[in-house]
Amino acid sequence: MKVTVNGTVLELDPGTSAIDAVFAAGFDVPYFCSQPYMSPIGACRMCLARIGAPRKERDGSWILDESSGEPKVFYFPAMMATCTTAIMEGMVIDTLSKDVKDAQNAMVEFTLINHPLDCPVCDKGGACELQDRAYEYGTGRSRFVFDKRHQEKHHPLSALITLDRERCIHCKRCVRYFEEVPGDEVLDFIERGGHTYIGTLEDGLPSNFTGNITDICPVGALLDATSRFRGRNWEYDHTFTTSLDDASGSAIVVDARTGRIERIKSGLNPEVNKSWIDDGIRFGHEYADDPERLKRPLLRRGEGFEEVSWEEAAAFVAERLAGFSGKDVGVAIRADATLEEGVAARALAQHVGTGQLDHAPRHGPSLVPLHGATVLDVATADALLVLGDVTEELPALDLRIKDALKGVSPPELFAHGVPIADLRLKERMPRASERLAVVAPYRVDLMKYAGAAVQVPVAGEAAWLQAMAAVAHAQPADEAVLGMPRAEAESLVRAWREAQKPIMIVGGFVLASEAATEAAASLAKAVGFRQVLVPPMANGVGLEITQVLPSHARYDYQGMLGGSAKALVLSNLNPAVDPAVAERLRSCELLVVHDLFLTETARLAHVVLPGTSGYEKDGTMVSLEGRFLPVRAAPVDAGEARDLTGVVKALGEAFGQRLEGRSVRSARRVLRKELGFDPTELHRLGLLRELPRRRAIVSLNVRETVVGDSLRVPSLARPEYLGRNAHLRAALGGPALRLHPEDAAARGLRTGDEVVVPVDGVPRRLEVRVSDAVPRGVSLVPATPEAPAGPAAVALDDLVHERRALEVA
Amino acid sequence: MSSRQPLPTVTPFFADKQERLSEILARYPEYGRRSALMPLLWEVQRAERHVSEARVEEIAEILGLHATEVKGVMSFYGTYHEHPVGRYHLQVCRTLSCSLAGADTLADFLEDELDLVNGETDPEGRFSLQYVECLGSCGTAPVLQVNDTYFERVSRSRCRALLDAMRRDTLPEPTLERGGDNEPNAPDQEGGAA
Amino acid sequence: MSDTASSAPKPITSRFDPRFEPTLYAHVGVPGSHTLSYYRSHGGYEAASKALGLEPKAVVDEVKASGLRGRGGAGFPTGVKWSFMPPVDGRQRFIVCNADESEPGSFKDRYLLEDDPHQLIEGMLIAGWAIQATIGVVYVRGEYYHAYGRLAAAIDEARAAGILGRGVLGSEFDFDLILHRGAGAYICGEETALMNSFEGLRANPRLKPPFPAQAGVYGLPSTINNVESFCAAVHIVARGAAWHAAMGTDDSKGMKLYQVSGPVARPGVYEVPMGATFRELIMELAGGPSEPAKAIIPGGSSTPLLPWSDATLDLPMDYGTMAKHRSMLGTGGVIVIPERKCIVDAYYNVVRFYAHESCGKCTPCREGSATWLPKMYQKLLAGQGTHEDLALMEDMVKHMRGTAFCPLADACAMPVQASFEHFRHEYEHLVDQGESLYPRRREWAA
Ligand SMILES: Cc1cc2nc3c(=O)[nH]c(=O)nc-3n(C[C@H](O)[C@H](O)[C@H](O)COP(=O)(O)O)c2cc1C
Ligand code: SF4
Ligand code: FES
Repeated sequence: MKVTVNGTVLELDPGTSAIDAVFAAGFDVPYFCSQPYMSPIGACRMCLARIGAPRKERDGSWILDESSGEPKVFYFPAMMATCTTAIMEGMVIDTLSKDVKDAQNAMVEFTLINHPLDCPVCDKGGACELQDRAYEYGTGRSRFVFDKRHQEKHHPLSALITLDRERCIHCKRCVRYFEEVPGDEVLDFIERGGHTYIGTLEDGLPSNFTGNITDICPVGALLDATSRFRGRNWEYDHTFTTSLDDASGSAIVVDARTGRIERIKSGLNPEVNKSWIDDGIRFGHEYADDPERLKRPLLRRGEGFEEVSWEEAAAFVAERLAGFSGKDVGVAIRADATLEEGVAARALAQHVGTGQLDHAPRHGPSLVPLHGATVLDVATADALLVLGDVTEELPALDLRIKDALKGVSPPELFAHGVPIADLRLKERMPRASERLAVVAPYRVDLMKYAGAAVQVPVAGEAAWLQAMAAVAHAQPADEAVLGMPRAEAESLVRAWREAQKPIMIVGGFVLASEAATEAAASLAKAVGFRQVLVPPMANGVGLEITQVLPSHARYDYQGMLGGSAKALVLSNLNPAVDPAVAERLRSCELLVVHDLFLTETARLAHVVLPGTSGYEKDGTMVSLEGRFLPVRAAPVDAGEARDLTGVVKALGEAFGQRLEGRSVRSARRVLRKELGFDPTELHRLGLLRELPRRRAIVSLNVRETVVGDSLRVPSLARPEYLGRNAHLRAALGGPALRLHPEDAAARGLRTGDEVVVPVDGVPRRLEVRVSDAVPRGVSLVPATPEAPAGPAAVALDDLVHERRALEVA
Repeated sequence: MSSRQPLPTVTPFFADKQERLSEILARYPEYGRRSALMPLLWEVQRAERHVSEARVEEIAEILGLHATEVKGVMSFYGTYHEHPVGRYHLQVCRTLSCSLAGADTLADFLEDELDLVNGETDPEGRFSLQYVECLGSCGTAPVLQVNDTYFERVSRSRCRALLDAMRRDTLPEPTLERGGDNEPNAPDQEGGAA
Repeated sequence: MSDTASSAPKPITSRFDPRFEPTLYAHVGVPGSHTLSYYRSHGGYEAASKALGLEPKAVVDEVKASGLRGRGGAGFPTGVKWSFMPPVDGRQRFIVCNADESEPGSFKDRYLLEDDPHQLIEGMLIAGWAIQATIGVVYVRGEYYHAYGRLAAAIDEARAAGILGRGVLGSEFDFDLILHRGAGAYICGEETALMNSFEGLRANPRLKPPFPAQAGVYGLPSTINNVESFCAAVHIVARGAAWHAAMGTDDSKGMKLYQVSGPVARPGVYEVPMGATFRELIMELAGGPSEPAKAIIPGGSSTPLLPWSDATLDLPMDYGTMAKHRSMLGTGGVIVIPERKCIVDAYYNVVRFYAHESCGKCTPCREGSATWLPKMYQKLLAGQGTHEDLALMEDMVKHMRGTAFCPLADACAMPVQASFEHFRHEYEHLVDQGESLYPRRREWAA
């Protein structure tokens, strides 16, 4: 459609909003209530313009202007909000005339009359949309001589978010966000008119996605409580990087100041996380600044450790390693290591000549599905089968599943980016719940939005999937296993088969079992699902395809710990939380631990090397959809800590060898050959690649028959660091033991009690949370890198009460 | 996912009113269940003269909403109360037509007589005074709404008599009038109070 | 058009025209008029039966031909609105009655609801048939509890008599009503806010388009009309479009319920053919002002006032004339402002109303109508205003007009502008003297 903006003529697609037309034409118009990816509502009235359009006669011909003979432009009698106006053929938009300027001045003035002038002490100062717009479009003075509205100034909406009610300009972004994005309306306007304020009755904003409102609040009303008063916006170094907290590949911006991370904000990646991240990713960084971080290498001296230089530590390791036959050495790294670190680990294993190389946690079956789907495919799927608890496991996917239920395809991008006002989005859009089926061993959050929800027994997924496959093949199936009448199962299968884009999301509970994974693949084949497999940690896919894998199943991580290795190099792994493993490690002849903290395992080590967090290294990760994404180091002070390439560099120097992967650069030379592209050149939004599918080596623990009728549940907040993330812990509580009310009552347990309970023989300190979402007889405990998602034995009978919850009045 | 403590238990309002509850829910189509929100608030308020937070949570539970949503809706309207109002909730319209008929003086009179200011309830919980906007009684102004009943053309003497009656805990017949064309007819026989 | 008009009989524009016969209000005030038996004994539901015997489109055409314009304030042609409904496609369709009557100076719907609820039910049934909606929603403002009770009882009676429910009045057509009670918010009179309120949401107005015919109640095709509009439809069907169109002026046909309040001898509701003059309404029917008057608000507080004068009194009360005089017919709620009422005080009262009723969604209304403007009035009335303040107020209301999301801000700004236009001297007097030209009176009937 032809549109003219302030004299500039351009062609745009029908359905475009006038505000995007203005930006597309290279002009600016102020706005507060519009927000990319959310419905336009026309509330702030900042984006007013004078708009006209030609009209047609009854016979369909244009009404012509007498003098020019061109179609005559009829102006709307009042100014129009450009955000809520769709373009029309021949529309004329004027944002520069005096009338429009006057109206803009007036709207700025109205907006400011109740806005406090506390910019000097406001965290948004310097990054405030109101400040900028008032400067650009205001008159610079106010004629309002009365007292401004006085309301609560430091209102904690939750442990993570602080609200200043005086600063709120009622743009409704935050309220709309909860309804439109996570779909949980835990925040709303209260009262009306001039008394309207933002509020909640929900204790602590129960949602996994609360922090995003601090990004989108145009003013300093909603603030990240964890970073409040920590710095001015212009003092921060912004590092655009990728989160290593999970395998979603979510874009984040790390804001650091004087060598420390102050906050994390959401980055924009339209094909991955749009502009939303979950609270685990946003608020989970405090551990990186923990005073107990290791800053220098440590060398065992008798019972204690001595700080040494990297050279000394490396020399010690090199000398001791020389005493082992290569095959007795094991090298294992955590599955959130970068590709470059993976290359380094591989080079080290090669150098010593061992096949004992692995990354953990790793479920075993390959993470590269036969017919894979992308995150964007999920967002545009018309049938979804979710196996597991995605909301906790990979929250970014939860939001994209909800996108699919809305059925609005991702917007076309403009030169100015994501449309400011996508008119297809509406408040309270209906969600097509019939598109979603969820299968899990307890009542997971997504079931609220699902047309079909089946609660299977613990480890019952394989049976369910086989039964569904039987239905698909018109074979008999047990209705008790299906959890629904056969007719319903048939209609589900029919819907999946008829769908244009049916997608199956396979979570950790299924991937923990080889049989279930196979059953999922055959059901997928039977009805035509493409699959998304959820890796247990950020770079599982990347480390699999770069073959950071054992030469044989008995040389996997479990095997190494079980005794196949006499010398061990462990990066960011802490198997000694299990007392039995600790006992074995004690007899290990050489234990080298590379970690951020002096963990249980590090305490047993001969050499401890200080490691870097995911915010402190450069590298590359591969997300679950096969997207290669850059990870960039923020300028923070990590002492002498190094990532694994640094470790390999030091060791290589001690060996007198120039090992591959001794720096990020050298690792990338290797990767370039293997991948066919140079990771150095990766765009911020990443590169989606078809991945090689290899027969992965199934881990021993997956082979083992399942014991226990409880579950280790993946958690959006990494339990191994939760204790060091004070704010996140205050908001979420500690790592939880979730129980059915009756099971809790039978043992006198109440929400908030602190207990120590053996989980697969490993005593764990957990906080009781009573919940009727958990089936009777089942306990849910958080998965860890050592013990990823899957069935577990929780010995409630051996539970020790550490602390009782405080009485609530 | 957050650690919510259960609230101290209160007997649910609708526990013994299931039939009434189903009747209200049945008024609306299944996809419009949320429409029952206002009627449920009314139901509670008529019985308890306010809607407490526990009731807000109960209604949210019934309708499958978050309590915040219920609160957001409830607080939008002028006539749902967070705190109990007195047995006689006096609502004085002071909008233009009533004002022209002396409503401001009527309001002052009530403030003095009852020793209450706008928005207050007396210690015995008998009277609450609230200023409201146009009640649609402009032709029979001024109007005083007591709970759900209109008393129209409230002159000083009528107002006195009305207060006296309420102090004796009786509520006289409403003075529903018509004015205009329809004035000559006999006053309404039924009364509007429930 | 004009030559047929000259040959046709003169339109009825006066209540005193012998051809005029009250219809809408014929039974208001009559004891027992709210019952079904009374209604039936006066020809009730015959129009509905007649309509059900016609094609729906014929009913729409009849209402179109009658020239009926919506009586809720905006005056949109009712039949045209009905014809906007999309073709029947199996989706549920709704006919909605706006009985939220909250505009200051308006009180006509209340008596219709209280004393003639069956007339409304019949009107909705006819409209429901015309647009093929099987569910009707009546949204009654919360304060109209008596009306609510009467209507609820009437609906029960109608259901019992087979007038509502399955196969109404022996036809194949199913129709039933949902009665819904508001809770004190003027904005719920705005049609889309009403729908949000009905759905159990905060009553913010919705974005248009989509209009209710496309996406109304629950996002389904809906048509909304005022109580009086539905009642008028009953008589249009009963007596024919021509009967209706014989009353009124060129752009305003039929009879209309005008309301008179303020200091007049007989305030109340008067049913009058459109085109009758203020003089007829105020001086003859309502008995004239009981004290000298200075202004007339023609159609509820949001319509700009007209100065009291012979010329004004002689204006016919129709849509076009009011528009020509830069005011509006609105709901026909006429308020007479006496000479001795300070106009600043009167408009503070009006502004306070809109301040109280702003929904808070959009900036000019929340910060202008609901916050700043009332504060300016308070300052003036406290004797602390300046001439700059007056200029500021005029500038402010100018920017509240046409900039807000819904017409509520206009409804606040327009009458204020008119008060400045006609009574600026009173504002100036207050600024110059520090006190009002007409000090506040403490009068109240004994
Ligand atoms: C702020 C506002 C308040 C309104 N209040 C009412 C009202 O109380 N009653 C009413 O019938 N229409 C009211 N309207 C008009 C309605 O939006 C709508 O136009 C009307 O109900 C349509 O019915 P009609 O076509 O029969 O007039 C109001 C409009 C606005 C903008
Ligand atoms: S708190 Fe912020 S985001 Fe929410 S309505 Fe207010 S200004 Fe907008
Ligand atoms: S009205 Fe807020 S951006 Fe258009």
